Amino acid sequence: MIRKILPFLLAVLLLAGGEVPAADTLVNGIDANFPPFAFVDKTGTPSGFDVEAMTLIARDLGVAISHQPIEWDGIITSLLTKKIDVIASGMSITPTRAQQVSFTIPYWVIKQVMVVKKDSSLTLDELQNSKKTIGVQQGTPEAKWLKEEAAAKGYNFTLRYYNSSPLAVEDLLNGRIDAAAMNDAPAKDALARKEVQILGPYGMPDEEFGYAVRKEDRELLDKVNAGLRELMASPEWQTLINKYELKK
Amino acid sequence: MIDPAPPVLRVANLEKSFGPNRILKGVSLCLAKGEIKVLIGPSGSGKSTLLQCLNCLVTPDTGTIELDGEPIDLANRRELYRLRQQVGMIFQDFNLFDHLTARDNITVALRRVKGLARRNAEERAEQELAQVGLTDSWASLYPAQLSGGQKQRVAIARALALDPRALLLDEPTSALDPELIGEVITVIRSLASQGMTMIMATHQIGLIANLANEILFMEAGTIVEQGSPAVLMAPGCTSRSRVFCNRLGDLAEGGR
Amino acid sequence: MPTSLAVIADSLPYLLAGTLNTALIVSLAMLVGLVLGVVIAVGLVYGRRPVRFLLGLYVWFFRGVPVLALLFLFYFGLFTWLGLSVNALLSAALVLGMTTGAYQANIFRGAILALPHGQFRAASALGMSDLQAIRSIILPQALRLSLPAWSNEYSIVLKDSALAFVIGAPEIMARTQFVASRTYQHLPLYLTAGLLYFLLTWLGLATLKHLEKKLRIPGYSQHGSQ
Repeated sequence: MIRKILPFLLAVLLLAGGEVPAADTLVNGIDANFPPFAFVDKTGTPSGFDVEAMTLIARDLGVAISHQPIEWDGIITSLLTKKIDVIASGMSITPTRAQQVSFTIPYWVIKQVMVVKKDSSLTLDELQNSKKTIGVQQGTPEAKWLKEEAAAKGYNFTLRYYNSSPLAVEDLLNGRIDAAAMNDAPAKDALARKEVQILGPYGMPDEEFGYAVRKEDRELLDKVNAGLRELMASPEWQTLINKYELKK
Repeated sequence: MIDPAPPVLRVANLEKSFGPNRILKGVSLCLAKGEIKVLIGPSGSGKSTLLQCLNCLVTPDTGTIELDGEPIDLANRRELYRLRQQVGMIFQDFNLFDHLTARDNITVALRRVKGLARRNAEERAEQELAQVGLTDSWASLYPAQLSGGQKQRVAIARALALDPRALLLDEPTSALDPELIGEVITVIRSLASQGMTMIMATHQIGLIANLANEILFMEAGTIVEQGSPAVLMAPGCTSRSRVFCNRLGDLAEGGR
Repeated sequence: MPTSLAVIADSLPYLLAGTLNTALIVSLAMLVGLVLGVVIAVGLVYGRRPVRFLLGLYVWFFRGVPVLALLFLFYFGLFTWLGLSVNALLSAALVLGMTTGAYQANIFRGAILALPHGQFRAASALGMSDLQAIRSIILPQALRLSLPAWSNEYSIVLKDSALAFVIGAPEIMARTQFVASRTYQHLPLYLTAGLLYFLLTWLGLATLKHLEKKLRIPGYSQHGSQ
């Protein structure tokens, strides 16, 4: 019985993998929990600002592209182990990351903000000095910065780590944390859907987003850079910015 | 025909120890074709171990085994498998395969060991079951649905199906309720009348006196007495065997 | 909750496809585990000392290391290092399979040891080789005795499969989380995910129950582990 079922299952599994792209396809790894830059819509189609931008760049380069959702924690490992070829998914350019991967030119400046409940009257000072709990996505520069800043300045807030910032927002509404630290674009996305407000920046310097490729893929880096420059100069860039309400 | 036919089974100087306990201390015996030997002796004397050494279910420490005049290489697994196919074994507690019907208990060895096709194996199984007095309707029952006597008859049919040169019977009736012993004894008698070569450990006086060509009396790992029942059991004879059997008889009558 | 219902309705095909992926991961893992478990159990019971030692090491390793760590270890580490291009779904199935294999080995080993010793001796006495005896006599009985524990293992593997989202396997949890991130309908979506898992649990257990009934032998379970 097993002998009959096993090959069948294997075949189905290999086919149903579905997300196995053809060899000449560029695979873009995305954190599908990072709207509006990258997400999958309700029907499961990858979408978002970076997904569309990367699709346009790939079209210019004349290569096929597929977008594969990857857990954020493992996304750089996935790139280095060639599970994916590029990360176009709202990734901040940081010195630590730059040691492992090559970044394109920056395409977006991201502000770091605190998000609190809509009816909250908390101030930034209270958040930092009144033993509050702040949620943040693990593996992000803001998580690292907040931790170092608290140690340096003697703040007494507790950090709680989440898989994604939407989960942090969810827990904020549940009352388990007092604020969520995140990028301004996802914060605005949350604002549009949930009873939260943006308290404002909390002192972390602005960051720039770039697309990442493996260090040895110099040719790919040049091509993506060229495509990105071209796209940013075109009206399509503005269309995307408006579509995903990045400037609201 | 220059040589007379060699004995079906001949063993010499079998020794076996389990840890510090010497169970067999150099046992030799010879089983001619059609001969029936009966092993008797107090429990713990090594009867069961001896029987299991005869088909290497227990590998003897030293000693030789010859089947039809050909020595068996005890280190060679294939030869052991072949030896066991040709020397059938009947256990005290039947050891039917619990997950198989009476019929399949018989066909499984025919198919796996002898490579028979299913249909041929099943035909053979029906024949052997009929031989031990079990008809078709019993063939599809599982061991748990059979009485002790029926189980032992299936076990005998299972051994016979492989066309053994000899049968080893290790107290085949000891685990049976008294009223079920008769049906198994009937089968054994019928095998004897057909000339089956057998060696049997038993406490059944009837079998000892009427069937045996020779009695082997074992004690503490050696055969201490052997001879025909006519001699050893003769009235007035002071043989160990007769004393032992008389005691068995007393026990049996006391038990009724 | 019209919004949440609409979200669930829209995302249901996506989530159902994820459910199919979960089902595939779990079925393959259980089969891999069955094959490994049987081989390991037989080796543990009948093998020589070095064989038993190595197999014991395997069981100890896969029982001792968390599934999450194993997923990372194999997907990003070993498979890549070996140059194997194994997708996330297959990786998850293999890792879960190797893990449940260690647990299944213990289930089967216990069942083999629970069988009366005479079964093996009787098979040997008929001239069967050790392998024939194991295959035709020991395993059919041991596997039957193992079925209840094996069903239990199924529901454990099903739940463990939710961890596969960390390597990006497109299964129920990963997909639920994606949709929730976009729509902020966490509660209704995770409820839906729970129902989907329940569906798989029920389907699997009902199938195994049916199998158990079909394979039942009159009077057999009396002396087994039951």
